[in-house]
Amino acid sequence: MSYDTIVIGAGHNGLTAAGLLARGGRRVLVVERRGEVGGLASSTEFNPGYRTAGILHDTTGVRASVIKDLDLEKHGLRRRSEPVPVFLPERKGTGLLLHRDPSKAAPEINSFSARDADRYAKYQAFHSRLGRFLLPLLNGPSPPVAGNDRSDFWGMIKAGMNMRRLGRKEMIEFLRLAPMPLRDWMEESFETPLLQSALAAPGLSASLLGPWSPGTATGLMMYEAVRGAGIQGGAPALVRALLAACESRGVEVRLNESVSRIRLRAGVVVGVTLAGGEELDGSMVASSCDPRTTFLDLMTPRDLPLDLERGMQNFKARGNVAKVHLALTGPLAFACRPDLEPENIRIGESLVSLEKAFDCVKYGEMPVEPCLDVAVPSLSDPSLAPDGGHVVSILVYAVPPTGTLEWTDARREELGDLVVSRLASYAPELRDRIVGREVLTPLDLEREYGLNGGHLYHGEQGLDQVLFMRPVPTCAQYSTPLEGLWLCGSGSHPGGGITCGPGMIAAAAILNS
Amino acid sequence: MGANYDAIVIGGGHNGLTCAAYLAKAGRKILVLERRHVLGGAAVTEEIYPGYHYSTCSYVVSLLRPKIIRDLDLPSHGLEIMPLEQSFQPLHDGRGLVRWSDWEKTRRELARLSPRDAEIYPEFGRTMVQMARFVKPILDMVPPDPGSLDPRGLSDLLRLGKRFQNLGPDLQAVKYRMLTMSAVDFLDGWFESDSLKAVMSVSGIIGTFLGIRSPGTAYVLLHHYMGEIDGAFRSWGLSKGGTGGISLAIASAARSYGAEIRTESPVQKVLLKNGSSEGVVLESGEEIRARVVVSGTDPRLTLLGFVGEENLDDETVSALKNFKMRGSSGKVNLALDRIPDFTCRPGVGPHLFGDIAIAPSIEYLERAYDQAKYGDFSERPYLNIVIPSLTDPTVAPPGKHVMSIFVQYAPYHIKEGPEYWPKKREAFGDAVIDTLSEYCPGIKEAILHRHVLTPWDLEQEYGLTEGNIFHGELSLDQLFFLRPSPKMARFRTPIENLWMCASGSHPGGGIMGAPGMLAARELLRTRTV
Repeated sequence: MSYDTIVIGAGHNGLTAAGLLARGGRRVLVVERRGEVGGLASSTEFNPGYRTAGILHDTTGVRASVIKDLDLEKHGLRRRSEPVPVFLPERKGTGLLLHRDPSKAAPEINSFSARDADRYAKYQAFHSRLGRFLLPLLNGPSPPVAGNDRSDFWGMIKAGMNMRRLGRKEMIEFLRLAPMPLRDWMEESFETPLLQSALAAPGLSASLLGPWSPGTATGLMMYEAVRGAGIQGGAPALVRALLAACESRGVEVRLNESVSRIRLRAGVVVGVTLAGGEELDGSMVASSCDPRTTFLDLMTPRDLPLDLERGMQNFKARGNVAKVHLALTGPLAFACRPDLEPENIRIGESLVSLEKAFDCVKYGEMPVEPCLDVAVPSLSDPSLAPDGGHVVSILVYAVPPTGTLEWTDARREELGDLVVSRLASYAPELRDRIVGREVLTPLDLEREYGLNGGHLYHGEQGLDQVLFMRPVPTCAQYSTPLEGLWLCGSGSHPGGGITCGPGMIAAAAILNS
Repeated sequence: MGANYDAIVIGGGHNGLTCAAYLAKAGRKILVLERRHVLGGAAVTEEIYPGYHYSTCSYVVSLLRPKIIRDLDLPSHGLEIMPLEQSFQPLHDGRGLVRWSDWEKTRRELARLSPRDAEIYPEFGRTMVQMARFVKPILDMVPPDPGSLDPRGLSDLLRLGKRFQNLGPDLQAVKYRMLTMSAVDFLDGWFESDSLKAVMSVSGIIGTFLGIRSPGTAYVLLHHYMGEIDGAFRSWGLSKGGTGGISLAIASAARSYGAEIRTESPVQKVLLKNGSSEGVVLESGEEIRARVVVSGTDPRLTLLGFVGEENLDDETVSALKNFKMRGSSGKVNLALDRIPDFTCRPGVGPHLFGDIAIAPSIEYLERAYDQAKYGDFSERPYLNIVIPSLTDPTVAPPGKHVMSIFVQYAPYHIKEGPEYWPKKREAFGDAVIDTLSEYCPGIKEAILHRHVLTPWDLEQEYGLTEGNIFHGELSLDQLFFLRPSPKMARFRTPIENLWMCASGSHPGGGIMGAPGMLAARELLRTRTV
């Protein structure tokens, strides 16, 4: 069989790229190793009757233009009307229900600090102004600045001029904040420790860094710039719509087929070889696997230019996030606010506690009090759990990567116990309601989802691995030094998370070529 | 009343003196006012115990601009710099590591740690020199203002962009990675030996409140390679007679051009009229007028101290308060009656004539940082040691020695509060000596005098706000056109006729003299004075 394009991996980025390529008239095949589509966005039954809403549960970054271009709403996708507030519980006190809208957030923040309520409005306004400059940067290919053959002086000038449109004051502020540690930014901005840590946490999920680490402010700015209201039914609903859109445009999807090799002839990609030995021809191959898997596992080093091989060996993808799913017989209720049934919860008492969790990870030790990003997806999609039951989805930030700690079965359970007791210290009825639990360490994530290093974003997102540096300068425009091989996954700009961004921009780049 | 002087320089540190010398050389009437009895600021030599001349604070010359040496003819004023040619890292196993200025000799040493690293070391050095060649001219330029549409600033930016482009794709990527990566991550891409990476990475953290794993620290590695292309001497050197010798040579040059220098003349405040500086008032009450006042003290002391918050707009006040000046280091100076043996490499050999770094492993340094983050001094800190009396016998009595120990981390903000530091001073000194004696067991018996400087002492005695040796941390958000803030990045302040000329301005700290020279050049170019 011969195709125009073979997409490796049916995660949300692979499906996005496939759908958009088919829309552009290409004949597309998607090859998926697992028995279902969706990758990190897919729903799995982790306990009888209980299903997850994906490994990554935040859908606020999904790009509007993908929804439009693939007619996803016609294929059943519904957007939320407004963002879900995040609850920040306390052991003593009332906790803080944090709305994105400053006017809704004000009364809650006021009970901690009137000054912070006022600053929060300014902080959100700053993000939305900054978003006008960052969004074009995150919705298109990164400007070809450094290390690319096509790097041109005018590309740099254009990027600079675009930034100047922010206005003098805002531009200087952006340049000042970008290399800063989140701790400095948060302490300049707010005085409530709970607020400081809750706002900082998303900026820390993507790399092996703590709030004291310089440059973490950029991660947060990029996260905030793309935030929308999210998808009804979360990541699995997105996957269902993407698959339907792909199928309606004639994309073929083969499950349970793993690619063992990307085939080359005279340095040009001609297709793939499957694990069973079958050879598929395609004039182009677009890989949505992480870059290390693509270049180091699916190819032989001698096929790669030396600098690309070296670049891939130095590409950092140290998985620092674990996942815990809990099956509950009743709601997740917090002692400090029993009347509330929050859908999103963030646990991390202060910036110091976030930094201390990172300290442990540096030395390959189990974190003492890891930051937890918790979702209860069964509140918006009751079909995930039996009647009255709930699913709790927990991303555990700051766990030691596979290279630094040997993730044995015992350690996996130790981590599970740690997370449960941490959550239970805020939600005391939790333990009695747990009927099932799944713990996925970075090693499990590597094995189950084929992530080299177990990194959920296909590679860390420190300042040295974003924009024109992602994953390496010579592959930053989705094409690679190997003719016919393209990248379309989270290891490419604009990076990881359920966003469809890399798939979208890669498809456009392929269609333009 | 008319002005008595064209310019008054507050502070007789090496930058203040450099600025004064350039202005005086251009024919201006200059007065330098120093608070202490001795010139030099933090680049000072003091005889704390009879016969022992300590470079009390700053102890090595790094990147002193060759142009300044030439312009001010410093050698004829007594400047003599002796290169520090090697760097010794004592380790618990083996012979430790000495990196010599001769790469071939270093390669043989490294081969014992890792043959692979030994092979790569020269290539690494060559790449760094190329990088340094790109960065170096930045040290000698006034930072452009990226927000202004002034054609001069724009053309500076364009030139910078063009130069970046000329680096070529590969080096552009290296350059960008250096700016954004941690020293450890960057070195991981080159080397495998943990102890080599540890000792190489420490230059990235000096004077910052960062760890070797903190992004942005890779960039400072370049400073080690910049001296190589300056040509005058290698990156690090000792000044004859101690670091104060540099300041005294510059002072002598300034005087030769007619500048007046007064010690023990502490400034109390800047004299203001309608938001403009007219001169200064000394603590003695004396008023001295000048067309321009140039401050060689740090930005916070200059503006919040000598001008006063009440005379500044809110934006400036918050910029100054947000300017990070968290001191992170201390200093221990020892008078020794002999040089004790280092266990791994006994005897007094050439390995002791350079600098000696106690930085045995990445984890050691990172744990030292972690303690400091939460408000303690490191029990096992990073030490950078020189024994200047080996190279320059004039600084100690015959047969005796002085040892200068730079210690990081000693955070200004300890958890008990900075004013508690005097109660911890001796415990801090003990931690340093205990650390050293693990590698050099006889050190305790050899000590005749011990002089400990905590960040609190650096602030109280030397006027360094929060004990920050660089007048503000050298982190990416505080460099170039952001140093000390976008509005004050070009040596000016919001107060008319009040300028700055020291380490709190571009290009930052260390005994470079660049801020002093650039400020003088800018003052003259704009005909402010």
